[in-house]
Amino acid sequence: MAAGTTATSLQTGAAFRRRPGFPAWLVLTPLLVWLILFVIVPTVVLIVLSLGEQKGLGTIHFTFTLKNYARAFDWTWLKVLLISVNYALLTTIICTIVGYPAAYFIGRSSERMRNILLTLVMIPFWTSFLIRTYAWITILSKEGLLNAFLVSAKIIPEPIGILYTPFASVLGLVYNYLPFMILPIYTSVERLDNALIEAAYDLGAGPLRAFSQVIIPLTQPGIVAGALLVFIPSIAMFAITNLMGGGDPPTIGDVIHKQFTSGRNQPFGAALGCLLLLIFFFSLWVTRRQRAE
Amino acid sequence: MKEIARHSVIAFLAVLALASCGKAPQPPTASQPATPTPAPTQAAEPAGDPDKNLNIFCWSEYIPQAIVDAFTKETGIKVSVETYASNEEMLAKLFAGGGTYDLIQPSEYVIEGLIKENMLTPIDRQAIPNMKNIAPEFTSMSFDPGNKYSIPYMAGTVGIVVNTELVQDDIKTYNDVFQEKFSKNIVVLDDAREIVSWGFESMGIPINEVSDENLEKVRPVLEKWLPLVKVFDSDSPKTALLNGDVALGVVWAGEGAILLNEDKKFKWVVPAEGAHLFVDSLAIPKSAKHVKNAELFINFILRPDISAKVSEAFPYLNPNVAARELLTPAQRNNPASFPTADQLANMQTFKDIGEQATKIDELVTSLKAQ
Repeated sequence: MAAGTTATSLQTGAAFRRRPGFPAWLVLTPLLVWLILFVIVPTVVLIVLSLGEQKGLGTIHFTFTLKNYARAFDWTWLKVLLISVNYALLTTIICTIVGYPAAYFIGRSSERMRNILLTLVMIPFWTSFLIRTYAWITILSKEGLLNAFLVSAKIIPEPIGILYTPFASVLGLVYNYLPFMILPIYTSVERLDNALIEAAYDLGAGPLRAFSQVIIPLTQPGIVAGALLVFIPSIAMFAITNLMGGGDPPTIGDVIHKQFTSGRNQPFGAALGCLLLLIFFFSLWVTRRQRAE
Repeated sequence: MKEIARHSVIAFLAVLALASCGKAPQPPTASQPATPTPAPTQAAEPAGDPDKNLNIFCWSEYIPQAIVDAFTKETGIKVSVETYASNEEMLAKLFAGGGTYDLIQPSEYVIEGLIKENMLTPIDRQAIPNMKNIAPEFTSMSFDPGNKYSIPYMAGTVGIVVNTELVQDDIKTYNDVFQEKFSKNIVVLDDAREIVSWGFESMGIPINEVSDENLEKVRPVLEKWLPLVKVFDSDSPKTALLNGDVALGVVWAGEGAILLNEDKKFKWVVPAEGAHLFVDSLAIPKSAKHVKNAELFINFILRPDISAKVSEAFPYLNPNVAARELLTPAQRNNPASFPTADQLANMQTFKDIGEQATKIDELVTSLKAQ
């Protein structure tokens, strides 16, 4: 962009405000093209679509109406959104409780051990997520592995329904998103300065106090990043809740998906999508503000 | 209809092929590897387009790949297949101006709408001599009198599957299924229009009279029914039944037929109140570039031996009488695939209901989330 003026502004600039030169722009181009094509353009399309109306078989008229948004605030859809947020919150909390000790242990292990453990965390992700979800179905179903084991071990008298319950949905979500919690926390733990922990002990803190007042605050960036990485995709996820939860209760991702298909109302689906985007921005803003404090 | 299942199978094969090289498996494009064989082996019979390509846009799990391969082998026409999981998904892509599809596979009410919006090319009946194989009750149906724009491919119904090991009652109607004692023991299609039409049928309302007033009438019925459902699944409702997670289902007949073949404990019931009959046809969009090739394919797939192979893979109600004769007695007598004439007479097809589809969706969503 400002390739020619860069040099002069560098010479005359009183403050050291270095503007990116031509090579920098060149290096950035792939990223910028990516962002424009796959973030900016789809978002703009979504916003424009959300202001339209669908007629007949599928023609969309761009009438610039707000009625899709007005409809989105009906209790029907808010309730679905609440259900999804609940699932996502629950998933995030469980992921934090399960993931933190794991990440802490990995981060404090010897380097050899650490590499092995990290690989173990990632190995399931070498397989497609749908296959892993189908594997859960064969494990949890009434005639599945888990029930067969529990019955033959005489722990339960007859098979119980585990699959197609909210429990199964959350289990699927936690299973799929746990690594997104472990990895950022691990990075924070790895960078933890041992001297600070020793200092806490020297100054008379017990293990509990050292953990809650030194270790947790120091690894907080990892926790926040992990929470975001788990929370945001879990809200909109519908494949897992449909396959493992039986699609009952409906989630916002499922409802949006239906607007674009059988509900025959793409503009309304787009409006719901925009509201979801707003929630994402809001959660980003909240965490950034927390970090600033 | 079973998009997720299909993707997972493809992804699974891809994973095997990639043998854990650590990359996310990409679904292979459905097109054939470009076989460089230029001339078809036989001296061209009925000639297609000079451009030997055909782009089919069809339901997932509906046209076996082996048949597409056989067509390519016979005609030298390279076929690429793209699939969809619902009529509306197909419409969305068609309206977005893809313009690259030569053959689509819409259901009856969509054909009606597409004809109305002038989006289909009339089919040259001279090119489809095998049309004679289609049973008279499936020709010239109300959505396309005279079959000017569409040729029936497969039909089917929606009905009840009972696991007789778990349910001893004699289930005859929708009301028999949706009883308190079967609470959380039922799988149904995740399809708002289907669900509402069952409610209508149980109350004796014609399934195409989707007025606001009728939707209000059906609300209390569905309000009672939907909380009893354990699984909503249109892609593969047979899974929950096979795994014993539910004892009853209201599912596609094709799925029902597969269950019946799988295990004798499953029973197929055509609801006494009547049921929905769907007819999926082959049609050529206005924007098609290879009309002649598409007609060749339609004629090919109506050949008795080919159509019988489709039935073998996907046991829906085959309207092709000549193909039915090639089926085994077990296939022909599968009550889910082939309802009796009396049952057929009691069935209704869907008509295009336009924007009422939105209200149906809202009604069912609100009752599911109650």
